[in-house]
Amino acid sequence: MLTYILRRLFQTVGLLFLLSILLFGMVNLAPGGPLAGQGQSRHIAPEKAAILKRQFGLDKPLPVQYVIWLAGNDWMQVDTNGDGAPDGPGTRKGILRGDFGFSFRTRQPVLKEINLRLPNTIYLMSITFVLALALAIPIGILSATRQYSIFDIVATTFSFAGQALPEFWLGLIMILIFYAWLKNPITGAPLLPAGGMSSADGFVLSDRIIHLILPVTTGALGWIAWYSRFLRSSILEILPLDYLRTARAKGVPKNQVLYRHALSNALIPLVTLIALDLPYIFMGAVFIETIFAWPGMGRLYYQAAIDRDYPLLLAVLIIGAAFIILSNLIADILYAYLDPRVRYE
Amino acid sequence: MFNKTRSLFFLISVIIGSLLFNACGAKTTPPASSETSATPKNKNITLVIPEDPPSFNAVIAYTGYDALAMKMVLLGMTGIDPDGNVYPELAAELPTLENGGVVQDETVKTMTVTWKMRKDIQWADGKPVTADDVIFTYKAITDPNTGNWIPGIDSVDSVDKIDDYTFKVSYNTISTSYLTLFGGEQVAIWPAHYCDAAQGFSAWDCGRKPLSDGPFVLDEWLQGDHLTFTKNMNYYQKGKPDIDKVTVKIVPDATVRKQMMINGDADINMWTNETITADLQKETNVKVSISPNERFVMRLFLNTAAKGTTDAQATPHPILSDVNVRQAIRMAIDADTISKQIFLGFSKPVWTEFFRPPYNQCNIARPKLDVEAAKALLEQAGWTDPNNTGTRECHGCKTGAPEGYKMEMQFITYKEYGEPILLTQQLIAEELAKIGIKLDLTTVEGSVLWADSSGGGIEQTGNFDIDLWDDGYAGTDPADFISQYYSEASITPDNGWNIARWDNADFNNLLADSSTLDTTKRQADFCQMAQILDKEVPMILLFTTIDADAYSTRLEGVQSTVNDVVTWNIADWKVVK
Repeated sequence: MLTYILRRLFQTVGLLFLLSILLFGMVNLAPGGPLAGQGQSRHIAPEKAAILKRQFGLDKPLPVQYVIWLAGNDWMQVDTNGDGAPDGPGTRKGILRGDFGFSFRTRQPVLKEINLRLPNTIYLMSITFVLALALAIPIGILSATRQYSIFDIVATTFSFAGQALPEFWLGLIMILIFYAWLKNPITGAPLLPAGGMSSADGFVLSDRIIHLILPVTTGALGWIAWYSRFLRSSILEILPLDYLRTARAKGVPKNQVLYRHALSNALIPLVTLIALDLPYIFMGAVFIETIFAWPGMGRLYYQAAIDRDYPLLLAVLIIGAAFIILSNLIADILYAYLDPRVRYE
Repeated sequence: MFNKTRSLFFLISVIIGSLLFNACGAKTTPPASSETSATPKNKNITLVIPEDPPSFNAVIAYTGYDALAMKMVLLGMTGIDPDGNVYPELAAELPTLENGGVVQDETVKTMTVTWKMRKDIQWADGKPVTADDVIFTYKAITDPNTGNWIPGIDSVDSVDKIDDYTFKVSYNTISTSYLTLFGGEQVAIWPAHYCDAAQGFSAWDCGRKPLSDGPFVLDEWLQGDHLTFTKNMNYYQKGKPDIDKVTVKIVPDATVRKQMMINGDADINMWTNETITADLQKETNVKVSISPNERFVMRLFLNTAAKGTTDAQATPHPILSDVNVRQAIRMAIDADTISKQIFLGFSKPVWTEFFRPPYNQCNIARPKLDVEAAKALLEQAGWTDPNNTGTRECHGCKTGAPEGYKMEMQFITYKEYGEPILLTQQLIAEELAKIGIKLDLTTVEGSVLWADSSGGGIEQTGNFDIDLWDDGYAGTDPADFISQYYSEASITPDNGWNIARWDNADFNNLLADSSTLDTTKRQADFCQMAQILDKEVPMILLFTTIDADAYSTRLEGVQSTVNDVVTWNIADWKVVK
């Protein structure tokens, strides 16, 4: 197993390198550019464009830009004042040494921008994820064990709705109901806040919980629907199998058959699925964060894409790709751990 | 037991439900008016904007939100009021030819401007704002390694200190926009003793944690969530600001921002579009301030060079290089109907670039909407439809297009403006179809349309026939804007925005001649230029777009302006409820 993990980690490095070329090329060759949004008018003044191109490093050929992005320019002579003559070594270290450059929009280091947003996304998404699992697993079990009961029909209906409803629509409807329509009967204020992380200065637990209700609910519905349906199908596939019939024939209590023998096997594919969804906890959800004004990674990425903020966009994409590769590896390892029949050599 | 529990649960549910729905939809009763109430206890207000300001330095990446934040904490030498008048901020007075502040050399076309600064303005740490700060700001902007660019800075040879509160700007040309060089909506003066020049103008820390000399001081900035400001106790205007605390909340969704205004959770909603303006005008607790003057004009950009090329002389456009065709297109578009139906009547018709004060004295007649005359003009220009296909063809046209060449073109707009511009695009296409011009509609992102040529920018590479979008100039001087859109020098890709690739020698001469401080002469030059543009139609101007900000009835003194952002006069706002 250790050999397998080491081999996969080694492959990951190669894969990330190839991805870096692919992503850098795609981001830079996509139509549009970062200068269009930097002007006081719709167009940017040519004089300003020339300065920004040099400061952003966009005046160099694409392969050179890639090398600088990867390995920095502190080992080469660069022209910083635009007079055509080198002025000394550059200041960039490159992503291989942990320097993702600076945001074209804010001129702040990219990692600083990400560090400001990542905790907020982890905060929101992990609560959403845990809540979704806490509800999806019992719903899935009950739906499977009481197949075609009223509970199953209701759960199935909600599951389909949960999967079908787009988050941006559901989010706005939630705001309409709980912020615009329903009022607190005592104060007359809206029942729930429309968005943001807090309404008071500093951290107040009750205030934070109130602000979490709508985004967490909106985000969790889709996951609850997806996981509960998946678990229901998985249990229903396992229940008729011979080993469970044998267990029941031998007099093993019904609940023990279900929870000890059936569920432990039915959960294996779900665990894989959950592991594959882990990157969402770090990468955020664009629609939820936008509608509920949650300052997370999804919004950061969306804004960077709109602004063609290449360094920020590339950092989010590369880090996202690394998370996805890592979660795949975790899924494979977990699968082998949970299912003794699977062995990686 | 179970039944009892269930009944109790049901009862509680009914009570909560009825309480909630009784409250649902209940309008908040507006508090007593300012005339009858005592001084409001709560003098805190909330502004909502869709995205973080990139920094407090509006020169770097002008988004408007940086200017909004900048105006709360930093002053420039001057500002521009909603009517286009320049007023002094850090300046003690406006330098003019009359008061000796401006001295020009007519023979070599140079000038010097001597600025006198107020002596009673201090930074929040108690240190005075002096000429050293202005010179520091100038040097930081023009630093070739880490600086940036502001309009008019290339005309400046030097900025020299005369004494602590006086400095002189030497120009290598006659600069007509000298009053707003270190002011206006974009430029503030930065503290020399606080900002670290080594970090560079665009990236210095003081751009995110500014030292204030404006009405407010930044307390906290939680990125993506909110910024909070408190009253600057050192502000030079005694008794101002009236507001104690300002919270700027970042709320990306426009519908949510609107609802926050209705619910009373926000006091200012910056830049409301036509639909939201109309909705908010119906609310009793919200007012909308609409700028008394306009800036952005919805316009059609007509490419006179063949699609994919940038030289209209070498490769003229097969359809649009004929001025008769351009005039016919203008005659066939019903701008009033679009303005009324799609832009909800908030637009005003515009047909000349010189429609804003102070240079709005030209007598250019508004072109008439006349579909039949447009058809006749196209017939006369050699564009006919002999087979009644609905699309005209070249039969004797004068553009060099081959016989039988169909009058079909691509019509592009940008998507960020939203539904109104898409509907406008469709309506114009329908109107031009009536005169036999078929348009293929395309929508792209602004960053694709306006990118430079190396970024594949559609306009800079000339890869379009007709574009539709809105633009207008900042400040009060149209010269730079006109030059960038219509001058010969701006035809070259990435050297300007003359994307029509239109070239007129008389126009270029008048433009050069208008570089003078003699406003009467400038007005005369501009009017001659307006006549040429009216005859040649390199661009078709349709109507203005709205510039509005919604505000709570708790506030007084809010005034929207196209010359600046809504916080331009935040020191004068009063909380009355």
